[in-house]
Amino acid sequence: MGFGTGALVLQQTSVAAPRFASISQVNGSSLDAFRNGADLPLCSHLQSHRNGIAQGSGQAGFATTRSSNKLLQTRIDSETSRVVAKIRKGKKSAETEYPWPEKLKGDEQEGYLEFLSGFKPLPTKPKPVTLPFERPLVDLENKIDEVRELANKTGMDFSEQIKELEQKYDQVRRDLYLHLTPVQRLSVARHPNRPTFLDHVLNITDKWVELHGDRGGYDDPALVCGIGKIEGMSFMFMGHQKGRNTKENIYRNFAMPTPNGYRKALRMMRHADHHGFPILSFIDTPGAYAGIKAEELGQGEAIAHNLREMFGLRVPIITTVIGEGGSGGALAIGCCDKMIMLENAVYYVASPEACAAILWKTAAAAPKATEALRITGMELMKLDVVDEVIPEPLGGAHSDPVLTSKNIKATILKYMKELLKLDPETLMKQRVAKFRQMGAVEEGVEVDAHIKRNMKKREAPLGSEDPRLLTSGLQQSLDVKISAVEGTTSHVNASATRSVE
Amino acid sequence: MSLMNWFEDKRRFGGLIGAFIEKATKGYIFSEREKDRYIKIDTTKGLWTRCDNCENMLYVRFLRQNKRICEECGYHLQMSSTERIELLIDRGTWYPMDEDMTARDVLKFSDEDSYKNRIAFYQKRTGLTDAIQTGIGQLNGIPIALGVMDFQFMGGSMGSVVGEKITRLIEYATRASMPLIIVCSSGGARMQEGTLSLMQMAKISSVLQIHQAQKRLLYIAILTYPTTGGVTASFGMLGDIIIAEPKAYIAFAGKRVIEQTLRQKIPDGFQVAESLFDHGLLDLIVPRNLLKGVLSEIFELYNAAPCKKFQNSFFK
Repeated sequence: MGFGTGALVLQQTSVAAPRFASISQVNGSSLDAFRNGADLPLCSHLQSHRNGIAQGSGQAGFATTRSSNKLLQTRIDSETSRVVAKIRKGKKSAETEYPWPEKLKGDEQEGYLEFLSGFKPLPTKPKPVTLPFERPLVDLENKIDEVRELANKTGMDFSEQIKELEQKYDQVRRDLYLHLTPVQRLSVARHPNRPTFLDHVLNITDKWVELHGDRGGYDDPALVCGIGKIEGMSFMFMGHQKGRNTKENIYRNFAMPTPNGYRKALRMMRHADHHGFPILSFIDTPGAYAGIKAEELGQGEAIAHNLREMFGLRVPIITTVIGEGGSGGALAIGCCDKMIMLENAVYYVASPEACAAILWKTAAAAPKATEALRITGMELMKLDVVDEVIPEPLGGAHSDPVLTSKNIKATILKYMKELLKLDPETLMKQRVAKFRQMGAVEEGVEVDAHIKRNMKKREAPLGSEDPRLLTSGLQQSLDVKISAVEGTTSHVNASATRSVE
Repeated sequence: MSLMNWFEDKRRFGGLIGAFIEKATKGYIFSEREKDRYIKIDTTKGLWTRCDNCENMLYVRFLRQNKRICEECGYHLQMSSTERIELLIDRGTWYPMDEDMTARDVLKFSDEDSYKNRIAFYQKRTGLTDAIQTGIGQLNGIPIALGVMDFQFMGGSMGSVVGEKITRLIEYATRASMPLIIVCSSGGARMQEGTLSLMQMAKISSVLQIHQAQKRLLYIAILTYPTTGGVTASFGMLGDIIIAEPKAYIAFAGKRVIEQTLRQKIPDGFQVAESLFDHGLLDLIVPRNLLKGVLSEIFELYNAAPCKKFQNSFFK
């Protein structure tokens, strides 16, 4: 950290460059201060591994100074503060930051798990980003501000005009957000300020602890797993975590997991099955990471094993797509009993840019690809892939994250209550049946002989196969008993009518 | 957020689509230059062809007899699905399933040409209804369930038909307690069917769970040139034994995607079967002329396991 050993501690009275805006709330016990988001001092003598800290949003280079009871961090930049150093015995060691305070005041019964979470509110409020299609709204808002300013400056009464403009603003906003096109929804799904997985989890759960590691060499920050409690029931949460700013994004690898991330998810799913936690997974990824190391470690294999294992779990699984769902990387934690999507979330097999570059040979055709691929929630609901689409507040999820989380929680609990009534065998069969009916084929129509001229004709003598065993697979899945849960029978009926054409 | 944009730009090509995207999506528009370079394996049109590896001229009839292995360098050229069935299944025992299943344009997808037209074009050109043939037959007397994918049909892309046929094959093999072999050769998932293609991966994996984990039956995956994208990420890598052909290209994300993501040159031989073998992702590399014998001996080994939980009768 830049100061040598053996220097003296100077009691620092002023705070230079406070890291968190909530510094003014620091008073009283260290616990309150912690909960209000104040930053924490380092324990330089503890050398073990960072405990799940979001290193990206963190604080490199912190001094180990603190005034008596306050939890203030002071950044030692050369311009402002005084130099403070500490007497250190022994060799100087690397600074590690821990999310917990050094001194805990009082005997608190609850709230210990919160100390372990490295995911803190951002120090600065994120800059508002306007998407291209929101431009008219922004113009209107600027005009309203102008009129207001004018009113203040001149003292004349413009309240009627302001009211009119505000009404117009509301109307335009409503019209805009109630009728978003798929291209606009895609840009909202990729919005930099969209609430991330951990934002939702911390809003939904009463208690939360993040668990780490794939026991095979790496702890992938892109895929986060943990246990949380909602309304007295504990669940296993897992999801892709995007960063909230550029630094975090680099730490989280833009929510593109490596095989280690998927193996961590697999371990957690088995753990949940073993201990009886239902699984709630949240999808928000552009896809799995494509890199040399990822390929060598077996990216395809990790995804494949996740897919297969998820159908053998005896606990309910509910998947929510909160942002982008990028093909295999999303499906690896998305084989579920119920699939939920947010209104502006998308789920695609290939990103529209990739699709455009391949099929239309030009990246400029991305809007056309977005429309053609049918990636939004409502379109997927028509294809029986998605069970429910949760409406987002006007303006997208980033305009009101708390309300979005509340809606998600209500929907999840609704489905969970139904699923918890089923016994494990029925649950597994139902999950297989849900995916069994996805897909659309033409059959029953006699195909022109010329079209199948190169397919190998039947050579086995008639009657050599067991006729009972050759009933179509669809028939078999229709025999599956899916009792006691409404809404699932419609899947099976729809598929029956679809294939018999 | 320019960094994010840059990153997103560089991820133009998605993982499931893998490599060989041109093959998967190309229509019938050939320029003159491409016509010259396009090597047709269709033997009715030419007597001689060229090896991809050593550029040696090969007489097609001898090549077919030699199981499409180049005499000079031993390189395994692409083999159509019918020939592969003849390679593995005893004569007079093949019983195909779901021959009349064709794709449906459920998304009404239309890029430069509509999906329906593309399907019709490929069906007419290759003489196959879709990118896979499934059925049952006997391999040295052992009844097996076999599925063979074909790269000539839209680059072996996996759509609803491929997913449904494989699912029915696996369900049949589970009910009849037969071992299952799937020969994979694919450029990735079929984009024209959108998210439904994605769900086929999950569908196949779900019935494989019942086949392998619940009923403890055998599934051998044979990966040939090329196996990329969605197939590698689902049933390709789920075999109890994974066999690859020599020098097969097996990948999840194609070379171009990785080069764009990492902005650096990929070393040669990176996603080749031998390299995957060294990294522990494959069980065996078996050349084509040994394949049938190896498979039947493997079945013999598995059949002789004294502690088998379920009595699967491989031999009728």
